[in-house]
Amino acid sequence: MRAATFRTVSSLRFLRLGAALLVAAACTQGSASARDESARRVAETGLYGRALDSALVIPSVSLADLDGNAIDLAKLTRGKLTLLFFGYTHCPDVCPVHMTNIAAAMRTLSWAERDGIRVVFVTTDPERDTPVRLRSWLGSIDSSFVGLRGTNASIDSAQRGLGLPEAMRLPGAHPGDYQVGHAGQVLAVFADGRARYAYPFGTRQAEFAHDLTKLVAASAGANARDPEER
Amino acid sequence: MQWWCSAQGVAWAWSWRAYPGVWLFIAAVTLALWSLHRRSLARPQPWRVSLMGQGILALWIALDWPVGALGGGYLASMHMLQFLLIALVAPPLILLGVHPEVWESLRDRGLPAWLSAITTPLTGLIALNVVIVLTHLPAVADLLMATQLGSFAIDMAWLLSGALFWWPLVAPVPARPNFGHPLRMGYVILGIMFSPVTIVLVAVLVFNEHPLFATYELAPRVNGLDSVADHQMAGLLMSVGGVAITLVAMTTIFFKWVQESERANGPDARDELTRMA
Repeated sequence: MRAATFRTVSSLRFLRLGAALLVAAACTQGSASARDESARRVAETGLYGRALDSALVIPSVSLADLDGNAIDLAKLTRGKLTLLFFGYTHCPDVCPVHMTNIAAAMRTLSWAERDGIRVVFVTTDPERDTPVRLRSWLGSIDSSFVGLRGTNASIDSAQRGLGLPEAMRLPGAHPGDYQVGHAGQVLAVFADGRARYAYPFGTRQAEFAHDLTKLVAASAGANARDPEER
Repeated sequence: MQWWCSAQGVAWAWSWRAYPGVWLFIAAVTLALWSLHRRSLARPQPWRVSLMGQGILALWIALDWPVGALGGGYLASMHMLQFLLIALVAPPLILLGVHPEVWESLRDRGLPAWLSAITTPLTGLIALNVVIVLTHLPAVADLLMATQLGSFAIDMAWLLSGALFWWPLVAPVPARPNFGHPLRMGYVILGIMFSPVTIVLVAVLVFNEHPLFATYELAPRVNGLDSVADHQMAGLLMSVGGVAITLVAMTTIFFKWVQESERANGPDARDELTRMA
């Protein structure tokens, strides 16, 4: 009986030790992780997004929608909360993940909240991102997303105006193929036409969903205060 | 070159990759089992050899490209398939494949005290469920899966806890006369199919509106599969796979029970058991 008790106690000790080691390893290594950084931001601002040092006015740059109509980026992004992203459809990682995560987060919002959000995707690879391809790619993610194209010069100008690095071609895995290096953050542009928050790659669906509800309300408030809109 | 499958953050490609650590591990396991069976090689039992081979094959499939690589950093559903293969399929097959002479020799020499202590049904039940909880806590899993050593630790934790769980059911050493067939069936049900841990994990994976693991949510997409759908598939796989494994185990235990009763009490016992079932 005593031997059996000893065996059970030994085995439980063994298990406890293993569990403690695993948890300890997880805790010590994870202390300086991005998770802590975003938790700190939430504690400070109530949002997972990184507040920009100063609100950026969206530059007036002429681009084109997928029907070929001229679009002024500054005008397009006014009036309601806009999530603005520069990327390309052949992107193997950041672009599809960011876009599908935003789409998934939006699906969890109410219709009214969704109606208060516009997602704009500006291609940094106008050569390969034809209107047909861009429409098909965005349509597979969320048909309400707006795709914009333009000349390399106008796209570069838009990125410069927002303080983003200009997209650049990088050699691909196969001869003749190329990738496009580009900024990985999504900008949250309020209804007054000013970008106030950035969401770097790594922002999760739950974090987008949490912030979007608050941003829609804050954006509407900013619009009401903006004299130009009035 | 990577030695073990882990999250890489690069786009998935259907082009084969070598994982030498996996090969070395499979070779080491095979060598260890062969060395354990050296004395009984003259009297092999083909069905046992086959079961052991299937167990090693299940382990290899789970750890190597493509299942290991996809589960290591791209798809939660493949991660769950890995769990099923490593913890719930490979250990019982390998243990069932052990030659009776090996068990006899273990019994004759006496099982080391530590091995007896950690192979009790209670330990097996706790070990498997504790490991399922720990390795599926998002903070722990995301942290460990980011490195090869961390992924290796998860895989080994699954294998060892799976071996501990199946040992009292499959291994005849040490003898457990109080752990009868009805208890064994209850043990399997409680350990896998109706384990509170498994039920909660499956519910979270299937019904949570956002993905549980950052590793898979932020991984480059594989064939355009949405990460929420991938997590739901993982939950369904765990549920369906767990039920299937439980049913196979229970059927096996039941027929073994019938067989042993027949041997002990004659053919009438079968009718009795069939009525009970």
